[in-house]
Amino acid sequence: MKVLSKQEVISFQNFSYSYPTKRNVLIDINLKVYKGEVLGIIGPNGAGKSTFCKSLNGLVPHFYGGTVKGNVTVAGMDTLEHTVAELSTKVGIVFQEPENQLSGLALTVEEEVGFGLSMLGFSRELIKERVKEAIEKVGLKGLERRSPFELSGGQQQRLAIATVLAMKPEVMVLDEPVALLDPIGKYEVFSVLKELIKEGSTIIIAEHEIEELAYLTDRILFLKEGKIISLDNSRNVLSEISKLREAGIDPPSITELTYELEKELGIKFDQYPIKLSEAVKLYSEVLKIK
Amino acid sequence: MRNTIIKVEDVWFKYNEEVIALKGINLEIKEGEIIALIGQNGGGKTTLAKHLNGLLKPTKGRVIVKDLDTKNTPVHILTNIVGYVFQNPAHQIFTSKVYDEVAYGPKNQGLSQEDIKKRVKMALEMVGLIGYEDTHPHDLNYGQMKLLTIASIIAMQPEVYVLDEPTSGQDHNGRRAIANLILKLNKEGRTIIVITHDMKFVAQVAERTILMANGEIIGDSSTRELLLNIDLLEKAAIKPPQIAQLCIELNKKFGLNFNCLTINEALKVFSQYIKKKEYLL
Amino acid sequence: MSSIGTSLLRRSVIIKETLIHKADPRTKFFFFLWISIWAYIFYDYVLTAIFLIGIIILAIIGKILKRILLSVAVTVLPWMAFGVPILSVLFPWNSTLMYKIEIFGWQIPFYYEGFAWGLTWPLRIGVCITSALLFYLTTNPANLIALLFKLKLPFRFIYAFAAAVQLIPLLVDEAGTIYQAQLSRGLRTDVGIIKRIWNFLILIIPLTLSSLTKVQIRAIALESRGFSAPVIKTCPYDIRFKSIDYAFFIGIIMATLIMIYIYIVYGFSPIVHLKQYLISG
Repeated sequence: MKVLSKQEVISFQNFSYSYPTKRNVLIDINLKVYKGEVLGIIGPNGAGKSTFCKSLNGLVPHFYGGTVKGNVTVAGMDTLEHTVAELSTKVGIVFQEPENQLSGLALTVEEEVGFGLSMLGFSRELIKERVKEAIEKVGLKGLERRSPFELSGGQQQRLAIATVLAMKPEVMVLDEPVALLDPIGKYEVFSVLKELIKEGSTIIIAEHEIEELAYLTDRILFLKEGKIISLDNSRNVLSEISKLREAGIDPPSITELTYELEKELGIKFDQYPIKLSEAVKLYSEVLKIK
Repeated sequence: MRNTIIKVEDVWFKYNEEVIALKGINLEIKEGEIIALIGQNGGGKTTLAKHLNGLLKPTKGRVIVKDLDTKNTPVHILTNIVGYVFQNPAHQIFTSKVYDEVAYGPKNQGLSQEDIKKRVKMALEMVGLIGYEDTHPHDLNYGQMKLLTIASIIAMQPEVYVLDEPTSGQDHNGRRAIANLILKLNKEGRTIIVITHDMKFVAQVAERTILMANGEIIGDSSTRELLLNIDLLEKAAIKPPQIAQLCIELNKKFGLNFNCLTINEALKVFSQYIKKKEYLL
Repeated sequence: MSSIGTSLLRRSVIIKETLIHKADPRTKFFFFLWISIWAYIFYDYVLTAIFLIGIIILAIIGKILKRILLSVAVTVLPWMAFGVPILSVLFPWNSTLMYKIEIFGWQIPFYYEGFAWGLTWPLRIGVCITSALLFYLTTNPANLIALLFKLKLPFRFIYAFAAAVQLIPLLVDEAGTIYQAQLSRGLRTDVGIIKRIWNFLILIIPLTLSSLTKVQIRAIALESRGFSAPVIKTCPYDIRFKSIDYAFFIGIIMATLIMIYIYIVYGFSPIVHLKQYLISG
């Protein structure tokens, strides 16, 4: 298991938030995220996952208004004291909808990837360099001159990731990035994320694809009705089967199976598998197959 | 022996000269089946589904819905037999009250006010939205909006339901609600076709699964057979549900014959296996 | 995006490599303004026709002749065909008789003033429209956007313009899907005028609401990418004046001098001097 660095990148202190039209969407959030960490966020719809993501770059509260208590500090910036534009240099968000987060201004993939940098007024030379790098990283090489609107969902989401990468933020946030993608699109996006994780990026990802999340995350934040239910390493959170079920969340199938087998056979396992390889190992032994 | 309710005979469909979306589809759908239609985007699932209620007419070949040829039958007749629920609720909802939204379909069918009232009540009961009649559709959460769109089709009482990605964008609660609804409808004898990318969901509800790629059907069999056919799924770049993956790995490693798709099945099979082993020991 | 949307998007971009295409968009835009102003300064159908022919020649060089002629056929010819006969007879300022034509036993007088008016105005409009089209059809969207940047227009305006071009095909796509979704609920197309207006609402409301949601999503995405940063935005495109542009400006200056000469010597309506040759007698 990865040893987390001690360098704090994100800090929530007694943070509570209400939208103008919906109260208590986040209640008393206290947590820290460290450099190089991958934090997953799970919870039923309405738990506050999206709001949590948007409070990392100031959209909450600057874009939506509403009432705030406490504060959020990201890469040394207090989100209440800085504009979304300023925070965009430190935090990049990839949203759920592949087509609707495209700028609409860029005529080609290249220009879309450079969009954020053009908004910040960087020079054309710098933009060219960064764009080339980002496009390679997400595997869209060869598609530079295509219209962003001609791409598949998976390609568009990778394009969004590239746009964010080009801005070289300290934290990348993904709000249900694969919810609307087909299996191949999901695979493409998760592959890119795996690469970024290997390079030590700090990533926050809210998702319902809990089985995939188990492969990516160091810790998982479990939210329900705006409150933190658990914040612990992935294995611990995903093994709390009854807590997950109470919130209406399906644990990873193999984890749930192990829990049920424990009950059925009256035995106890040291730890539950959260990845397929772990389950294969466990069951090879359990079934006493030689 | 169940009757055939929809027959697709050698259907080809071209959007334009360059894009051939369906290449020779042959298919028979029997009454009361629950069928999952899976495959990557662009493979032809939605195109095929839209042929079932006459929204699209074949360029070649024909689609017969209960003895009606879709080429010669107006869409509003076919929608009495085949109900199609689109993926995005925002594409349908246009009224300011849940009641009006659900009443729209039966109204178009020419029913009396009395009958419309009955149908709306029945539909809302089915999806669990009784009590929300006067609510503004936009005050519902996403899962409820999805149920609302399904209710508005249930109110038309079609015999066949086509659901286009009903679980996409939903949390696990929502997915469960849809699964239960499908099983409920099927108990009443309805035929259900679900387009989906969610293999866990497929294993839970569908008895038969059709896999499409590049405009062709490359797999059409019982869900169990298809989701355990690793070669076929690999060709289509699809992974079976995690339990099935576990069984496939164990089978590969130890030459076993596990064929579970869901947690409940695996629980039964694994615990039996263990108990038998212990007994033998 | 469906194939309809893609083809709409592609149609707006015409990629060719003629002299006109190579010219800087600023040059072409200036030409449009310049020639339209001169067409209005001179009240003279022969001179205006010469302008129009000049634009057509440029269109030939730019290989867009067909579309320019099409626009002429639509905007100029019908008006002339109707205007000339009617105005020659019924124009309030008619005074100079040209000739009388006998129709059905009546002697109909055709006056010069109306005749001139009926010719000149459609030609003026034709010059405006064709020179604008010449600019638009030979300028690819990238250069168009670059032009807007060079004109130092506020960025939000530039964004609105460029986004509109790209996003309207998406709207068209979506309207199609909404239409299909409502058809699936029994929307009838074989109805009278009042029902058709109601049908229109049933399509427009979801389209509007869905667009509003999309706009919000796009807005937060834009904000998250630094859209509101109070800096000068980097234009991704570069446009520079080339030799063709300098040659063109020289031509414009010479033409302007000629125009000024004509104006001074012959006044704003040089054709008056030819008038006497048209009057019968």
